Amino acid sequence: MEEIKKLEEIEVERFSRFDRFVHWLTAVPFVYLFLSGLGMYSPKFAWLLPFLGGREFSAWLHKWAGVVFSVGVLLMFLKWAKDFILDSDDIKWLSNVKYYIKGEEEKLPEVGKYNAGQKIFGWMVFIGGAVFLITGIVMWFPESFSINLVRLAILLHTIAFIVVGAGFIIHVYMGTIGVPGSLSSMITGKVSALWAASHHPKWFKEIIKR
Amino acid sequence: MATVTTEGTVGLGLRRVSASKLPDQSIKQVDQLAILVDISSCIGCKACEAACSQWHDLKPPLHTEEKIFTGYQSGPGLAPNLFMYMRFQEEETPNGLVWAITKYQCMHCSDPGCLKACPSPGAVIQYANGVVDFDHSKCIGCKFCLSGCPFDVPRYDANNKPWKCNFCIDRVSAGIEPMCVKTCPTNALHFGTKEEMLLRANKLLEGLKKRGFDKAAIYDPKGVGGTGYIYLLPHGDKPEIYGLPREASISPLISLWKGPVKLLGSIILWGTLLGAFLQLILFGPIKVGKKHKKEE
Repeated sequence: MEEIKKLEEIEVERFSRFDRFVHWLTAVPFVYLFLSGLGMYSPKFAWLLPFLGGREFSAWLHKWAGVVFSVGVLLMFLKWAKDFILDSDDIKWLSNVKYYIKGEEEKLPEVGKYNAGQKIFGWMVFIGGAVFLITGIVMWFPESFSINLVRLAILLHTIAFIVVGAGFIIHVYMGTIGVPGSLSSMITGKVSALWAASHHPKWFKEIIKR
Repeated sequence: MATVTTEGTVGLGLRRVSASKLPDQSIKQVDQLAILVDISSCIGCKACEAACSQWHDLKPPLHTEEKIFTGYQSGPGLAPNLFMYMRFQEEETPNGLVWAITKYQCMHCSDPGCLKACPSPGAVIQYANGVVDFDHSKCIGCKFCLSGCPFDVPRYDANNKPWKCNFCIDRVSAGIEPMCVKTCPTNALHFGTKEEMLLRANKLLEGLKKRGFDKAAIYDPKGVGGTGYIYLLPHGDKPEIYGLPREASISPLISLWKGPVKLLGSIILWGTLLGAFLQLILFGPIKVGKKHKKEE
């Protein structure tokens, strides 16, 4: 028991200043994009638009928020893409993901700095971000492209919204109440050694070695 | 165009409203309006084009000395401040040269693609009489209406608001004909109910066929449920020479987006939210130290 108490008090750095900056550079515009996009995706959520600055304004800001978001995703890709490459342990982890959902992490292969779910969400954001940007530019200037390309762009933008939106819902849940301690790690950059040892044991062992 | 809001059009009655529930069709029993364009009687004088701009207080784009537009047309096509234009096209056929002259503007589809694509409740409206109109006060400027349109009609101003022919809704709701019809000197334009116009078109079609235009046809594309503008085409086998698509319908990409994809998306997004909630109440948050406690 004493050992656990000790681990709880030790802090280890999980996210650098740059990591945190890039995360929120992407996350803040994304929240606006998600909500305003939802208001345009379904009339049942059209009531959101007045809360985002007005119906016309939110459709306008959606485009510029998208530009900032794209910059964030690009930086994120450069920083994290190499960490998000899936290995054979990740495949095992994914096929036994039910243990993770039940909170029985000890039945899963030891996880490095990121688990397979986080890695997959990363790729959803990278690929989705590229789709959002390319189709978004086509939708922004529909008169400059062939009309069928514009129609295809709207369809792909919607599909990307559904896929990334579903990932985003899980990400927000896991990052706040789903896995306690995650949100503060993205704010302060620090996690307790206990948190690191139980959720990301392989990564914890690596930093201990150093 | 921008002056009417849907609240203000209760008297006219509404058939469809963008991103909204279908209005009750049993209250107002209104005849569908139509304009018949008899291309065989048109001399291409462009009086309708001038009258349209005059009635709607438009100053269509003028051509600068550096960029002179040459040809029979007054310009390359529709513009936010040009709701209709006369389209001229020369076409070689086995029977000689055909000069296809078409009045081109919003077709007032019975099933309007612009209205289907519009995400903003009430920004595109179709009155009970079939006229399709925009309400700029509700428009968010997303330009989706252009992608919904099978006829490439809406044109956007500097604020991204769309403009197009509104069938002179102010005139027709007061019981008078649209401005283009009033002005036409050769009776190439006819105005009345859709039923009357189809009858008249069929009568004129018989006459055309007697005069040797055996390929003549009426243009009233079924793919969009018929249109408010119907055309009598002397060369009905080649609608393209008049700038009219052979099969006009809402693009399957738009139908896919607004139909199955949106439904599937709603299921996936709500399902994900429900899944996260179930994880929380069934298993609870994934906490630290379980493994270590066991080891102790």
